[in-house]
Amino acid sequence: MLAATMRAASAATTSAATATAATAATASARWAHTLVLLRHGQSQWNLENRFTGWVDVALTDDGRKEAATAGAAMAAAGLEFDAAYTSVLKRAISTLNIALEVMGSEWLPVSRSWRLNERHYGALSGLNKAETADKFGEDQVLVWRRSYDVPPPLLDTDSPYWPGHDRRYAGLDSDILPRGECLKDTVERIMPLWEGEMGPAIAAGQRLVVAAHGNSIRALVKHLDNIDDNDILGINIPTGVPLVYTLDDSLRPIRQENSAGLLSGVYLGDPDEVAAAAEAVRNQSAATAH
Amino acid sequence: MADTHPKPTLEGEPDSKRAKIGGEDQTYTLVLLRHGESEWNLANRFTGWVDVPLSETGEAEARAAGAMLVDSGLTFDVAYTSVLRRAITTLWRSLEALDLCWIPVHHSWRLNERHYGALQGLNKIETAEKHGADQVHIWRRSYDVPPPPLADDSPMLPANDRRYADVDPADLPRSECLKDTAERFLPYWESDIVPAIKSGKRVLVAAHGNSLRALVKHLDDIAEDVIPGVNIPTGVPLVYKLDANMRPIAQEGSVGPLSGVYLGDAAAVAAKVEATKNQSKAK
Repeated sequence: MLAATMRAASAATTSAATATAATAATASARWAHTLVLLRHGQSQWNLENRFTGWVDVALTDDGRKEAATAGAAMAAAGLEFDAAYTSVLKRAISTLNIALEVMGSEWLPVSRSWRLNERHYGALSGLNKAETADKFGEDQVLVWRRSYDVPPPLLDTDSPYWPGHDRRYAGLDSDILPRGECLKDTVERIMPLWEGEMGPAIAAGQRLVVAAHGNSIRALVKHLDNIDDNDILGINIPTGVPLVYTLDDSLRPIRQENSAGLLSGVYLGDPDEVAAAAEAVRNQSAATAH
Repeated sequence: MADTHPKPTLEGEPDSKRAKIGGEDQTYTLVLLRHGESEWNLANRFTGWVDVPLSETGEAEARAAGAMLVDSGLTFDVAYTSVLRRAITTLWRSLEALDLCWIPVHHSWRLNERHYGALQGLNKIETAEKHGADQVHIWRRSYDVPPPPLADDSPMLPANDRRYADVDPADLPRSECLKDTAERFLPYWESDIVPAIKSGKRVLVAAHGNSLRALVKHLDDIAEDVIPGVNIPTGVPLVYKLDANMRPIAQEGSVGPLSGVYLGDAAAVAAKVEATKNQSKAK
């Protein structure tokens, strides 16, 4: 019932926020398109500091709370959506469902696509930081973490982590299924979804919310804001904080007053909490698996 | 809630669990699930299209349904539900329990509960006092007499709700009898759900008392004067086996006039059927 409690709480703050948002929305309604990106919160393997990738681990209770908080932030901001996108991994799907419940938008059509999955970590899937350093050496691990186009060691197709064994990917050609990805690979396989479905939906006037993963969101913002290969790895998207993009008719981002550095998007929520979340993910990224 | 070491899914599911495609002796499995108690069931108010959430009891029923589905060994490839949260969240709890959050879910207003017109929101006892118990009984239990329609200025008009923005305004009801519900549900059954079933996809439909009545009436060819008395228990998955022509195949354990079989212990199911019938009567 966490969602119901948060929905009641956010309803109280919504009216004032809605009035402001509504005015702003009307002023730019004809050419401003909304796209909100949301990185899921803590998963069980984040806690255990393991490379996750396509392994379908669940959110922890904290991760579920992050999702509810994100929903409350979007509701308080008076945001409305017409459709939602997410991956086929439950940590993102649950994040979306919880946020929708808090917003009272459970009815939204949802598209689940493997193309929004987290980057596939290949043979590193399941290993924790210590194990990885032991197995491959610190220097090699640094290369994989800091390069845009060097993939991790690839899975064998007889590995239980090979997507070909998972029926959710049954419809896909086995040559599309990754055995490991660098960020460049992730970007390349997201683009058909962006160009084929999401972009056209936005251009047609649909306001989208996307619940996904650190690297799939990096891929989207890299494309939206035309971020350099070298710079994208330094971008750390805080978990559980909605990132609101406003796009023009050509789907180019319109920079806002409180755009976040290289990103044209604006993080939603209490400024101190947003700063803390950004710091947390920066530290986690330095210390750990991602 | 969090699983520590999720096991990767391997190929080699037993053939009996995997749908085969084609052939006249093809059998398909279809599972129907009615959502549990909502906040307005609890408050004894006519609900219809008003988007009330599940009560604590309804949440527990949803989780219990999920557990029953897990125990059954059934799995699914696609799910259909309405645009009302009491059905959607019921579905979500089941999919979470089954570890099937990834399957496509299609929402359609055509699976909504029957629209209760100007009675929506009213307390059932007060309504009986106002209009007489007999009249209320007719509105609730006749096949083709709808309750009074929503007025032009009613804030509850579906046209005012943006989730119906893409629906032809002529299709949006102001009130429905069960016949009306069937007339707007069955086209969707034919155009969307049947092709999915025939393509070999294992389908789960999470919906409402009257939209499911409409469906089982169609599947089992139940008479108009019988169907209003058929009570589908809440939170108990109902499993149909269909042939290549979408006609139900008789099953052991089914209780007439439905060919479907409820999951779970037979005595518990019988108690649930009785409870649902009484809830319907007393309120």
